[in-house]
Amino acid sequence: MSASTEATAPLSLDREKLYAARLRAVRARPYLATALFALRVVESRRVPTMAVDRYWRCYASPGFVARTSVDELAGVWVHEVAHLIRDHHGRGDRIARREGFEGRPADRLRLNIAADCEINDDIYGDGLDTPEGIVTPALLNVPKDELMEDYVRRIRLESLPGGLHLWLDCGSGADGLEREWDLGPDGADGLSEQEQDAVRFKVAQGLAGPPGEAPAGWRRWAEEAFQPPQPWRELLGSAIRAAVGGAGAGDDHSYGRPSRRSVALPGTILPSLRRQPPRVSVVIDTSGSVSDAELGAALLEVAAISRAVGGRRDLVRVVSCDAAARVADPLCAAEGITLIGGGGTDLRSGFTTALRRRPRPDVVVVLTDGQTPWPATAPPCRTVVGLFPRPYYRLRPGDDGYVPDTPPDWARTVRIS
Amino acid sequence: MTIFATPSAELDIAADLLTLLRTTDTEPRPNPQLEAVTLAVAADLPVLLWGEPGIGKTAALHQLAESLDLPLTTVIASVHEPSDFSGLPIVGDDPAEQGVPLAPPDWAVRLVRAGRGLLFLDELSTATPAVQAALLRLVLERRIGSLQLPPGVRIVAAANPRASAADGWELSAPLANRFVHLQWTHDPEVVVRGLGGTWPRATLPRLDPELLPGAVDFARRAVTGLLTARPTLVHRLPGSETRKGGAWPSPRSWDMTLSLIAFATAAGATRDVLAQLVRGTVGDGPGLELLAWIDRMDLPDPEVLLADPAGAELPERGDRRQAALEGVVAAVNARPDRARWDAAWELLVRAAETGPPDLVVVPATTLAALRREEWEVPVAIERLAGVVDVSRRADRVPAGAGAGAGAGR
Repeated sequence: MSASTEATAPLSLDREKLYAARLRAVRARPYLATALFALRVVESRRVPTMAVDRYWRCYASPGFVARTSVDELAGVWVHEVAHLIRDHHGRGDRIARREGFEGRPADRLRLNIAADCEINDDIYGDGLDTPEGIVTPALLNVPKDELMEDYVRRIRLESLPGGLHLWLDCGSGADGLEREWDLGPDGADGLSEQEQDAVRFKVAQGLAGPPGEAPAGWRRWAEEAFQPPQPWRELLGSAIRAAVGGAGAGDDHSYGRPSRRSVALPGTILPSLRRQPPRVSVVIDTSGSVSDAELGAALLEVAAISRAVGGRRDLVRVVSCDAAARVADPLCAAEGITLIGGGGTDLRSGFTTALRRRPRPDVVVVLTDGQTPWPATAPPCRTVVGLFPRPYYRLRPGDDGYVPDTPPDWARTVRIS
Repeated sequence: MTIFATPSAELDIAADLLTLLRTTDTEPRPNPQLEAVTLAVAADLPVLLWGEPGIGKTAALHQLAESLDLPLTTVIASVHEPSDFSGLPIVGDDPAEQGVPLAPPDWAVRLVRAGRGLLFLDELSTATPAVQAALLRLVLERRIGSLQLPPGVRIVAAANPRASAADGWELSAPLANRFVHLQWTHDPEVVVRGLGGTWPRATLPRLDPELLPGAVDFARRAVTGLLTARPTLVHRLPGSETRKGGAWPSPRSWDMTLSLIAFATAAGATRDVLAQLVRGTVGDGPGLELLAWIDRMDLPDPEVLLADPAGAELPERGDRRQAALEGVVAAVNARPDRARWDAAWELLVRAAETGPPDLVVVPATTLAALRREEWEVPVAIERLAGVVDVSRRADRVPAGAGAGAGAGR
């Protein structure tokens, strides 16, 4: 505001142009309307172009608005609001904390570039012009359709191509680092975290509704917005631990022998802690549709988990459900697991083989892509299914296509991706 | 013992240093997490705090107990045996005749004798399955052996998130449904300031006796309104593995939600606090739908706006303002007549003059389309020129052609 020393009279923000651009953005992307309208415009002469903060304020430089066309401004609106909807500041904070580069501007710049890559590969086109000089995965020679978390690992500042001088600084809403123009949490008209979630939820609902023209990136975001996918290793591990930790296996109390505390408390019956290592049988669907790498990773994981919960090598058994057990063989040799050839590609026979063994397993872990019939009744032990994802899961309702049986309810199913 | 018999100057100095270290200030700082726990505890619902170890859950509960004036009993579940919760079988002289009584532990006896207190069951997730089974009876039936906990005792439990819990125990769906799940996180800023000598002091919500009937009415309207519109939300078992062990919607958890909305309303709690409670009781998806529903209930009634366009108070936030205007246009559409149509135009003009004009464009276009042949265009529309301009520029239509609100002309 103290720009009176400038030679020319300071420009005032052309709000009407900015609002016209917002309206164009809303028309091009109706599902973002709630979020776009929730943004509050703040005039700022310190912002190089346009920027957002983590409280959903949108800072705009009068000069930038004056020299940019309505078309391009519409694209910038969508770009900025996409940072907020996809929670780039929150995710940026978490990445920064995990990688230990809190507050280092160079790394925050990498975060901003990574966030831009996640957005820019799918928001333009279809009514929105691609602005000049934006960062795209193609420009940086990295694959498209990835997430900010992936891009930030790939991006090296020193290897950035020249000509990035048109760089848009998207503000603290994009990378979590406070800017000098930010109004902060106490400034007017900010959205609280829960209000932001509510706006995100409305956008996600709009995207999840009728099959619209929303690009795949937005739809994927909507699917995962409030149920972020958890790493399958943790889920599989926890499913197996929960299964072997149940009654009849693992650590538990028993009255079989007196507790050591009994001596001190005559007349009182105390339980003692006894260990019964769990017996785990792994049924592997080795039909051609499961890749070696997937299978190897999942099998290693199961072996590691069952050892961690106290299972000895001889207590982990592997039943392979197809003759073509290529990977499993060397892997199992290295892990000291005996691989026994099973019969056919039908998982039901795998179950039968696994359950016929004596002593009976406490837990059956099945690794499969799900293209198989399942036993009609629950086996007499806990079952964990590690399911490799296959393209048919993405079939939309109404499409004709092969839809196999889903794993039954009595099994705990973990998607391995 | 003899060491302490003679006064030691060294230890005195150490004690001085400790006193200095322990002298810290507090400053008022809103703490939505603590407010949410307070309301759930006040509503007598079992709370489960999910949080990494060592982030101050216990310290927060000390503050809570102090402010509710309840004695705090902390029981670390993982160092106990199942019999400590289900009662120790004591063999008497003639078990066949007198039976074997289940003796409760001392802390339970003290709790019952006091008649009131805050029982904090820490480290629920690292206890063995048998201990957990015994604890569940305590949480759900409020029984320890043969002792029944009095109604004045409130129960809070804490658990480590599944990802960080080494032994990976998790709640079964029926059990998870009985808890209010609250995520407990730490704010690095608060910790740094606290280590610097100033800890936050939260002002805890107090229920306002005057607001009680209104709060109950509001809570009932909110929950029944949503469930009437979305009956599938009444009961939905968690499907995917990621949602297991968390909050999910069922008649029981909706009932809990109803209580929590009433408590939050009577305490004048912020929307953030309410959102934590609601999402922690019925889950994220249904919780957010309920919050969106409450948002809509908060929007001004279209009929009230139409009745007095000049004095109408429109919401400040853009998306809410647009929703309110669309509600007005929908109301006119539902019962169209000339006076209502004119009043709606006046409202749109007011909205365009007091806020961003772009969000008036869509309601104005819809309203213009509602015109009947015999209705004359109101003079007020002239004042929507700015809106028409914005709309034109957005449409890439050369000036002069009718667009947006101009369609009514």
